[in-house]
Amino acid sequence: MKKNMIRILIVVLLVLTATIITHFDSFMYGNPVMKIQQSKVVSKDKSTDEYKNTDTQVSQKLTGMLLNTSKKGQRVTLKNSYYESQLIDQKYRSGQQVILAKSGKHYSIKNVKRDTVLVFGLGLVVILLFCMKFSRAKLLISVLLNLLVYYGFIKLLIHNSNNYLLIMTVITSLLISGIALLVILGPTSDALMAYLSTVCATTLAILLSVLLLKLSGNSGVHLELTDFGLQPYFSVFLSQVIFSVLGVILDETMDISSSLIEMKKEVNDVKESALFKAGINIGRELIGPLINILLFIVIAEHLNLILLYLSNGNSIGYTFTMTLSLGFAQLLISAIGIVLTVPITSFIASKIITRRAY
Amino acid sequence: MLFLLGAFVVLLLMVAGSRGFTLLFGLAINLVSIVALLILIADGFNVLITTAIIALIILIVAIYMNVENANTANIAFKTSILIVVIILLITIPLEFWASAQGMGMENQEDLEAFSLAAGVSFPQLAIAIIVVNSLGVISETSVAISSGLNEIILSKPTLTPKEVFSDGFSVGNKILSTQTNTLLFNFFSSTFPLFFLMNSLNYKFTDIINDKLLVAEILTMLICAVGVILTVPITAYFVYRGVGKKTSNSVDN
Repeated sequence: MKKNMIRILIVVLLVLTATIITHFDSFMYGNPVMKIQQSKVVSKDKSTDEYKNTDTQVSQKLTGMLLNTSKKGQRVTLKNSYYESQLIDQKYRSGQQVILAKSGKHYSIKNVKRDTVLVFGLGLVVILLFCMKFSRAKLLISVLLNLLVYYGFIKLLIHNSNNYLLIMTVITSLLISGIALLVILGPTSDALMAYLSTVCATTLAILLSVLLLKLSGNSGVHLELTDFGLQPYFSVFLSQVIFSVLGVILDETMDISSSLIEMKKEVNDVKESALFKAGINIGRELIGPLINILLFIVIAEHLNLILLYLSNGNSIGYTFTMTLSLGFAQLLISAIGIVLTVPITSFIASKIITRRAY
Repeated sequence: MLFLLGAFVVLLLMVAGSRGFTLLFGLAINLVSIVALLILIADGFNVLITTAIIALIILIVAIYMNVENANTANIAFKTSILIVVIILLITIPLEFWASAQGMGMENQEDLEAFSLAAGVSFPQLAIAIIVVNSLGVISETSVAISSGLNEIILSKPTLTPKEVFSDGFSVGNKILSTQTNTLLFNFFSSTFPLFFLMNSLNYKFTDIINDKLLVAEILTMLICAVGVILTVPITAYFVYRGVGKKTSNSVDN
């Protein structure tokens, strides 16, 4: 117990140190960084737009000190104006560090310095993990390996432009799901079984959905609305679907196959058809919660844009077509995948397990 | 899109049978709740209060409609509410600190046609986004852990609190890994277009790690992870308290 307390204390200290270091790391920045020391409201202008939204435009005068570059210590005064709703503009407070851009002799604020809070948030998760008896090493390895693969994916994507996006996504998905399973289940035949089910279910769901989309001529799916209009639209869309559904399907296959293995251990002479049925029964309970997970993640991602549309006087129907049609298509493909996983995993697992002795 | 919807419904009914109707009904209620949330916020209701109320409704639906065992559902519900409150308490200061609300410079093209004086508080909406994002993960985790623990307790009724907690962690380990995967892969899904864009805009490393959109995504993932981690001890605590009550009752009788 005491040893544990010391370990937690060390982790807390490390996290605090890292956070403090990033607070003072402005010397590593190429752009000038300023610490705001004083902010004063110059004027407030309440306005109502054509859609009857009332918003206040505020101008503020910011005074601060440069923290890096050769002009370190120099005082700078800037003007900033923002709407109180702060969609893309920003209210600045004294004490905040901001990154500046210099054009000629004038400085303008480019961005808030957010690395400190990022490190702190990460530290918070690490501290919590150390406070509890989780097997941290496994989790850490799997996350780091997956991030490494993702980094390679991004690098390749940037190099090859995005002509091979879909193929790269497939390879990346095969890798990251393999890593995740290997780390959680170990190099066992159970992992192989779950892997097989995951790959089959995902492939089948994607192929079926692509076929259906082609048959309907992509009706109701505004592919041109992918994030940042990245092209080719269809590949970007499919890649996003594959990545987002993969984690959920992995969860599902592992749950079903491990329950079936348990069952075989308890009743040695269990029939293949009984196992298959049991698998379907277990899977049935998983479908709802898993679709829910993706539903909320997908909707949360678009909340900003939806509210912007709604507040600009658009009807709910139009807003949803423009913002959520892709999200819903993504959700439906994922849902089809989640449903298909149940019989596929039950089938594969029951075939393999009955042929094995425990 | 209709084809996809049709295929989903048919497959669902084939696999889940009559249970499929309940599932569809639950999903429909969740969708309606979310739409209600959007309309209320757009109409100028307070973002945080509305989100809290809708989150409560969604958790009730997500947990009580998917779980048949009343005891498991109660514990999962209590845990989820507590976790959502904790998430709110963590998110509010972190978002204030990070100022990662609204949209970024990268979205500028999408925004040209809009009046940006929307009258909606986007800093508060940023908090709502994280809460909504966490709802599915939190409810699933709490249900999985409480049903797992309840099963263990049924088979071994003489567990001490310490054993309940350590069993909670052994059940929790697997769930934590799978939920981490779900969160991480969804992060991949939503950020690769962003990274690609950043490259074509020639962002430097320091631009990337301070970017509003990326920081918002990472914070979302981290805070959801905090929620999942905390679910384990809190569920174990509630399960243990439930067991304690039952044994003291039987002694009284």
